[in-house]
Amino acid sequence: MMAAGLIDGWVEALLALVLVTGAFIVSRRDLHSLVFAYTIQSLFLVFIALLLYLAHPSEVLLSIALLTLSSKVLLIPYTIKRIQKQIKISRDVEFHYISPTGSLFVTILLFLFVYYSFSGVIGGLFTADKISYTGAVFGVSLMLMGMLVTFSRKKVITKIIGYLTMENGVLLFGLFLTELPLIIEVLIIIDLIIMVLLVTILAAGMDSTMEEFHNRLHIFRRED
Amino acid sequence: MNLSFIAYCFINIIFAALVSPFFMGIVKKVKALAQGRMGPPLMQQYYNLLKLFRKEALYSTDSSWVTRVAPYVNITVIATAALCVPLVFIPEAAYGISNVIVFLYLLATARFFMALSGLDAGSAFGGMGSSREMSISSVIEPVTIVVFAALAFIFNTLNLHEMFRESAGQVHLFDPSLVLISIPLFIVLIVETARIPVDNPETHLELTMIHEAMMIEYSGRDLALMDLSHAMKQTLLMAVLINIIFPWGIATEMGVAGIISAAAGFLLKGAALSAFIGLFESSLAKMRFFLVPNLIMIAFFLSALAILLEVFR
Repeated sequence: MMAAGLIDGWVEALLALVLVTGAFIVSRRDLHSLVFAYTIQSLFLVFIALLLYLAHPSEVLLSIALLTLSSKVLLIPYTIKRIQKQIKISRDVEFHYISPTGSLFVTILLFLFVYYSFSGVIGGLFTADKISYTGAVFGVSLMLMGMLVTFSRKKVITKIIGYLTMENGVLLFGLFLTELPLIIEVLIIIDLIIMVLLVTILAAGMDSTMEEFHNRLHIFRRED
Repeated sequence: MNLSFIAYCFINIIFAALVSPFFMGIVKKVKALAQGRMGPPLMQQYYNLLKLFRKEALYSTDSSWVTRVAPYVNITVIATAALCVPLVFIPEAAYGISNVIVFLYLLATARFFMALSGLDAGSAFGGMGSSREMSISSVIEPVTIVVFAALAFIFNTLNLHEMFRESAGQVHLFDPSLVLISIPLFIVLIVETARIPVDNPETHLELTMIHEAMMIEYSGRDLALMDLSHAMKQTLLMAVLINIIFPWGIATEMGVAGIISAAAGFLLKGAALSAFIGLFESSLAKMRFFLVPNLIMIAFFLSALAILLEVFR
C-alpha cells in the first residue's frame, strides 16, 4: 500500500495537469488537439480514481476508473475522430462573444469565484481534508471551463467537447465529494444532454454551426 | 566579497558561454534529424563563432554608434544576467545580484538595445524586426513578470539563488504549483529565445523574421557577440527551468568534485531539454503573428493559477 502523503502528492499533481488540459481545450483551435487534450484529461481522471482507490479501497472508485477508461479514453475519442475524418473539418476558428484569450482570463476569474464560494459552503473541509477540497474546487472550475467552451465556440463538434469537459468536471467533483446525491443527478442529466446532442447531431450532420444546423432541421421539416 | 562568490562569477559566466553554443547545436541537430537531414555537427556553432570572431565587422554608412555599441552592451548585460542564475553551483552570498527583478531588467535591457540596433541602420528589415520584437515584448514581459512572481510566491523569496537552494535536493514532481509553473517557464523560454511557433530562427524570410531581422546588419565579431549573447540567454532561461523543476545535482557548496559533477549533470539535463526544444519546434508550425498572444495567455493563465493555489494553501 502506498503512503497517504505520496498519494495526495500524486493526486494534487494530476489535478494541476487536469486544469492544464482544460486550459488547452479552452484555447486551442484545431480539433485534433482538442480531442487529444480531452483524451489525456480523461486519462488523468482515471489515474486520480485509481489513486483514490489505493487510498480508500472502494469498488465504486474502481468501476469509475474502468468506465472512464473504456468510454472517455477509448470509445468517445475514437468516435469523434471517426466523425472528424468524415466531416473533414480540422479547425474551429469561429467564436461567439469571447475569444480564447478572453476565455482564459474569464477562467481565472471563475476559478477565483469557485474557490471563494466554496470557502463559504464547504470551508470546513479545507482544514479537515485539503485534497478533497482542492479536488472539488478543481472539478467545478473544470465544469465551468467546459461551459465556457460550449457557449463560446460555433462549431457543434467543439461544443460537444465542451460538454464532455463539463462532464469530466462533474465526475472530478463527484470523485472527491461522493456523499452529495445531487451531483449524481447532475451527472445523469448532463450525460443525457450529451447523448441527445450526439444522437441528433450524428443524424443531421455535424459539419455546421448551430445556425446552419437549425436551417437544416427546418429544411427537413419542410420536406416532411 | 568572499572567495566563493568570486569563483562563482568566473565559473558561471565561463560555463554559460562555453555550453550555450553546444545547446544551440543540439536543437539544430534534432530539428535536422526530425526533417530527415543529417544536420550540422554538434560543434558547428563553435566553428561558426570562431570564424566570425576572426572576421572584420562591417557597418552601414547610415548606422550610428548604437550599432557599434549594441553587441558589446548585449553580451555584457547577458553575462551580468548569468550571475543571477547559478548553473552549477550556488554561492553562499549573492551580493544583491540574484534578485529576480534585476534578472528581468537585465534581459529587458538586452532586448532594448537589440531593438534599437535593428532600427539604427534604417533598413526596412531591421525596422520591421524591431517593431515585431517590441510588439511581442509588450505582451510577454508582463507575463514573464507574473511567471516569476508565481515562483516568488511558491518559494517565498525574490532571490533566484535561494529558490535554487531550496529546490535542490527536493523532489518536486508532486507539487501542483511547480507542475503548473513548468509550462509557463517553457513558454517564456520559447518566446524569449525567438523559437517556433513564435519566430523561426532558421529563416531570413520577411514573413517569419523577428530576431534575425534585427541582426541582419551585423557581420564579423559583432554578429558573433550577438549570436553568443542569444545562445547564453537561452541557456540562462533553460537553467531557471532545469534548476527549479529538475534541480538534482546542483552544488550548494564550493568544491571541485561537486562542481564537476554538477556541471556534467547540467550538461546532460540541458542537452535533454535542448533535444525536447528541437522536437517541440519540429512538431509545430509557426503561428500567425496575431495568434502569439494566445500562447502567451496560456503562460499567464497557468502562472496565475499557480499563484492562486499558493495563496489558498
